[in-house]
Amino acid sequence: MITGFSKTFLYLFLVLVFAVWVMDGLVHDWGRLSGSGGNLVTFFKESLWPPNWSVIEPQAYPVCTAYPIIDFTCSTAWIGMVETIKIAFVSTVLGTIISLPIGLLATRNLNPKGVSYIARFILAAARSMPSIIWAIFFVILVGFGPLSGVLAMTIYTVGYLGKLQYESIEGMSSNPLEAASSMGLSKLETAIGVVIPESANNLISQTIFMFEYNIRHGTVIGIVGAGGIGYYINLYLKFLQYDKVIAYLIIIFAVVLLIDFLSIYARSFFTEESDVKRPSWWGVLLPADLVTKLRRNRQE
Amino acid sequence: MTSLTSHDRLGKNGAGPMSKDEGQLQDDCVVSLEGVVIGFDSNNPLLKVPDLTIKSGEIVAITGSSGVGKTTLLRTIAGLIRPISGTLRVCHSTLPSQPPRGSVGYIPQRLGLVRHASVRHNVMLGARAGHTNPLSLFPSSEAIEHTDYSIERMGLTDKANEPIRRLSGGQQRRVATARTLAQNPKLIMADEFLSELDEETLEKVLSEVTGYVRSSGAALIVVEHDFARAKSMADRLLLIDDGRVNPFLSETTAEEVKI
Repeated sequence: MITGFSKTFLYLFLVLVFAVWVMDGLVHDWGRLSGSGGNLVTFFKESLWPPNWSVIEPQAYPVCTAYPIIDFTCSTAWIGMVETIKIAFVSTVLGTIISLPIGLLATRNLNPKGVSYIARFILAAARSMPSIIWAIFFVILVGFGPLSGVLAMTIYTVGYLGKLQYESIEGMSSNPLEAASSMGLSKLETAIGVVIPESANNLISQTIFMFEYNIRHGTVIGIVGAGGIGYYINLYLKFLQYDKVIAYLIIIFAVVLLIDFLSIYARSFFTEESDVKRPSWWGVLLPADLVTKLRRNRQE
Repeated sequence: MTSLTSHDRLGKNGAGPMSKDEGQLQDDCVVSLEGVVIGFDSNNPLLKVPDLTIKSGEIVAITGSSGVGKTTLLRTIAGLIRPISGTLRVCHSTLPSQPPRGSVGYIPQRLGLVRHASVRHNVMLGARAGHTNPLSLFPSSEAIEHTDYSIERMGLTDKANEPIRRLSGGQQRRVATARTLAQNPKLIMADEFLSELDEETLEKVLSEVTGYVRSSGAALIVVEHDFARAKSMADRLLLIDDGRVNPFLSETTAEEVKI
C-alpha cells in the first residue's frame, strides 16, 4: 500500500521525469556539456582572474579634482555604483508614490470588481516586461543616460510594488474595514485613516525591499545605456577585458550584500515587536530557518 | 488661569456630551425587520427572525448560547451580511443602501481597531464619521472636541498617544467604545463589548454607554452571552434558541427562560 509520504515522493519523481523529458526536447547535443568544466577553468584562469582593480583607481579623463585621500571617488566603479544607487533611490520614491493609489484601487476588499480589475491590469502591464526591456524602450524615447534608467525602473517599481501592496492590503483583518463601513466613512477616509496606518509596516518594509531590488537590477540596465555601473560592465565586455568585468561584479556583490543587510535591518524596525529579532550578518548569507536553528543552538 | 477641559467645554453631565449635540438627537433611528431570514445557505438558514421593531431610546440585548447566531444577527442589522430574504430598515434606509453617515456606531466583537495607530487616531475615526464632511481633509473642531471628550470619559487620557497594540484587551474595548461615543450615533450596535473588563471598568463603561443612550434617545442593540447581565441592562431581550429569534420582554426572568 502506498503511504502519503511515498505518494508525495512518487509525484515528485514523475514531475522530475517530465522535466527531463522536456529538457531533452530542448537540447539536441548533450555532448557539449562534456567540455564545459574545462572551458570554465580556462576562462577563469586566462581571462577572469586576478581581477583588475584599476577600476577603483581615478579615471584618466575627466581629470580627478577630489582631495587625494578620497580620489577613489573619481574611479569608474564609484561613479557607476553611486549613479546606480541614485537611480534606484529616485525610482523607488517615484514608484512608491505612483503605485500606492493604484495598489489601493486594485484591492478587492475596498473596491468594486471593475475598478479592481482595471487597476490590476495597469499593474500587470507595468510588470509584464523586465526593467531592462523598459530601459531599452526609454533609451529609444529619451536617449542614453540615467533619465531613461529612472523612468524604466519607476515603471517596473509601480508594477511590482503595486502588486505587493494590494496583496498586503487584501490580507489585512476585515474588522477595521467593517467598523469603518458601518460608521459611514468614505472610501478615501477608510484608505487614509484605516488601511494605510494598519498596513504601514508592511508597506514600508516592501518599499525598502524594492529599493534593494532596484539596486540589484539597476546594475543591469546600464548595459543597454540607461546609466549606472552597468554601462562600464558593458563597455569592458565589448573590449573583452573580463578581468575588469569581474572586479565590477565583485564590487556589486559587496554593495548588494551591504544593502541587503541594511535592508533587512531597516525592515526589522517595521515588524511587530518580538516577531523578528535584530538580524545578524548570517541572516544575509543563510536561509532564515537555518539562522533561527543556529541561534537556538547557541542559546541552548 | 484655569484651563477648561474638553469635558467642561462640551458641558458635562453624567449622561455625556453635551447639551449642544449629544442632547436629544434630532431624528429617530428605527430598526425594523420584516420576514428576515438569516444565514449563508438559503436551503439551510441559520435564523428566522419574527417581525420586530427597535425604537429610539430602546436598549435591546440579543442573547443565547454560543454559536446560535447572535453575532450573525447583529452583523446583518449592521449591513455586513445580506439576509437570505426579508426587508431590513435601519435609520430610514432599506438595506443594502447605507444608513446616513455617522448614524450607526458598530463595535465588532474583535473591535475593528487600527492596531498600529494611536488611541486618538482610532477615536477620531468615529468623531470624523459623526462630525466632519467626508470631503474635508482635516477633522472639524467639533470632531476634535468629541474625540478629546470620549477619550476622557473612557479614562484613556494618559494613553491617548499609545498605539493600540500596546494596550490590554480591556483598554482596547474602551477605545472601541470611545470611538463609537465620539461619533454621536443614533444607533449603537455592540458585540460583547463588556467582555474582558474588570468589574469596576465594566460598571463605568456600561454607565457611560447607557447614559448616552438615555440622554440622547439613541437605540442600543447589544449582543451579550451573559443572560443576567443582558437582562439587567436591556429594556427588551431577544433570545435566540433553536434557530428562531424569540422576543422576550424585560420582565422575563432568567429562571423562566431556558437557554
